[in-house]
Amino acid sequence: MATSPISDKVRTSGWEFITKTVDKRAIMKAAPKDPREELAELEAKGEVKVIHITEENRPIEVETLLGRTKRIPTNKLWHHKSCGQCGNIPGYPTSIMWFMNKLGLEFLDETHQTSCTAWNYHGSGTSNLVALASVAVRNWHRAYETGYFPLIHCGTSFGNYKEMRNLLIEHKDLRDEVRRIMAKVGRELVIPEEIVHYSEWLHVLRHQIAALKIHDLSSIITTVHPACHVWKLVPEDVIYDPNIYGGQRPAPTTAILLALGAQVADYSTWYDCCGFGFRHILTEREFSRSFSLERKIKVMVEEANSDVAITQDTGCTTTLDKNQWIGKAHGYNYELPVMADVQFAALAAGADPYKVVQIQWHTSGWEKLLDKMGVDWRTSKAEYEAYLEELKAGREPEQLYVPPVENLNLH
Amino acid sequence: MSEEAVMTHLRLDPDNVGEQDAESLLEAIKGDVRYEEVIHGCLNCGVCSGSCPSHRFFDYSPRIVVQTVLSGDAQAVKDMMDEYIWACAQCYTCAMRCPFHNSPGGLVMIMREVAVWRGMEAVHRLLKPYGRVLLKVLSIGNQLTPDMIQPDFFPDWGPKIPWSSTDLAIKRKAIPVYTLQVTTSAWRVSPQTSYELYTIYEETGVFRLIEQIDPNLYEVVSDMVEDLRDTIESSR
Ligand code: SF4
Ligand code: SF4
Repeated sequence: MATSPISDKVRTSGWEFITKTVDKRAIMKAAPKDPREELAELEAKGEVKVIHITEENRPIEVETLLGRTKRIPTNKLWHHKSCGQCGNIPGYPTSIMWFMNKLGLEFLDETHQTSCTAWNYHGSGTSNLVALASVAVRNWHRAYETGYFPLIHCGTSFGNYKEMRNLLIEHKDLRDEVRRIMAKVGRELVIPEEIVHYSEWLHVLRHQIAALKIHDLSSIITTVHPACHVWKLVPEDVIYDPNIYGGQRPAPTTAILLALGAQVADYSTWYDCCGFGFRHILTEREFSRSFSLERKIKVMVEEANSDVAITQDTGCTTTLDKNQWIGKAHGYNYELPVMADVQFAALAAGADPYKVVQIQWHTSGWEKLLDKMGVDWRTSKAEYEAYLEELKAGREPEQLYVPPVENLNLH
Repeated sequence: MSEEAVMTHLRLDPDNVGEQDAESLLEAIKGDVRYEEVIHGCLNCGVCSGSCPSHRFFDYSPRIVVQTVLSGDAQAVKDMMDEYIWACAQCYTCAMRCPFHNSPGGLVMIMREVAVWRGMEAVHRLLKPYGRVLLKVLSIGNQLTPDMIQPDFFPDWGPKIPWSSTDLAIKRKAIPVYTLQVTTSAWRVSPQTSYELYTIYEETGVFRLIEQIDPNLYEVVSDMVEDLRDTIESSR
């Protein structure tokens, strides 16, 4: 019998090597340097300015993957909005602002913001590192000059900004180039002390938010889709908690659902992406449809008997929600509502499903879920339809928030 | 650092569109400042491909991408840049799991960027459906806007999409956040913000790239840039 050129001993040790080091905690054995320490050193040398988290921001401390402490500011926040959310899932940002009002927190939402432009970059490659870093720094600097700390709504912006922060800290030539460009637009190179995602803000305030709950969620089975660019890009910065899946999965989103008293069901493809693919959602739609149905929606329903898929990012909410209807052509008769954690929490806390949570923009049937939660969406729908008529007749719109005049600058 | 060194290291020169010699493409990939961070060696174990969503649905394997780049076979790398690497869904599951702490998805991103900035043939085909996104991202820095969700573009999204696009201005007005009550941008973007963004695109070669690879789009964008600059500068 021919012998394999690779001995069994080598095979075994190779396998051991893989199984030992593929564990996500392998990163702990070769922990990357803490960029925040390096940032502090650069600041001390006068190389960069840092946007600090101050007492006014009322930070709450959490632990990340490597056991490092991350401070999450909860107050005086500058909304770094998401174009995909604002354009397509408007109840996402409104729910965040609704909670901030409820909790009496100070914030600024204004017009001097661009998106991170990273969706386009990942999809088409029509940008470069210097442009991405400059866009990031321009937004950070704008937040800095207002005195508010940036809160990043989008998962891709969050992942991208963590990458940009790290690259800016590591590479002097990148800093020099960005500084040169910022000077041309009358700005400076500033870097925030922490890059903070809204799901982290929701996470640290989960008990205060859960205290606002008016509906019983104990019979609702949720499944969580953790967003790739939130937890797989710069993974060492992500919040883990020993009480959530034994510290083996990111804690945000799952933890607030538990705090709200909902059931969180496990499913075998929890780690898979949603199928968004950046370019695929536009140009390879067959992939987005098939992947989201076959690897996410079907598994959430059949394995977990889920009532609702809960997301924490923009593209995932869209992909999982919008691709269900077409599945009927191939016998996928699922109708699983999809919404962000903050929208689900807002519904639980009595936010108007139409005017605040803007659930009407979601395409996969959510009516049964809202009935099960005890949310009276029929009255809300009737009021919303009447409100649309009033707006058509020229009534001024209701506002949860209007920026101060000096932050409008529409000219 | 000289302008030339900055170019090869941090960004490519848009005037090198058309330079598609295989060796120079591989050199550009390996010369990227991020290359050392995304590739540390490769065990050829296939863990990345085992968890790759695109591997399930396409003839695509991140293991093969990494191995091909490491092999130094410039022609094979060039062949991959034409179509193969565009199957990647940019989810970074591979990066999360690679025992070498590689990021095959990050490598793919560098390769895509080189493919675009060298104007490779496939890029024109691949970017075609991107025109609307590019126009928005170049003009206002938004990538998706409410008026882009139209039933003729998303017929597979089902019967609720026509609702979303009818009476859009009124429905947007009914969103209770002032900055969101618009239809052609995701939020109200101040002209000053676009003005600053144009400087960034100009200084980083992005406008010049678009001029080279999509002259029609560039014409539209440059008109908008000129108008806005005139308005802002005359109001000073
Ligand atoms: S980033 Fe690309 S190569 Fe990596 S797992 Fe995702 S789809 Fe596959
Ligand atoms: S997981 Fe890492 S080491 Fe294994 S084949 Fe992929 S890139 Fe190579």
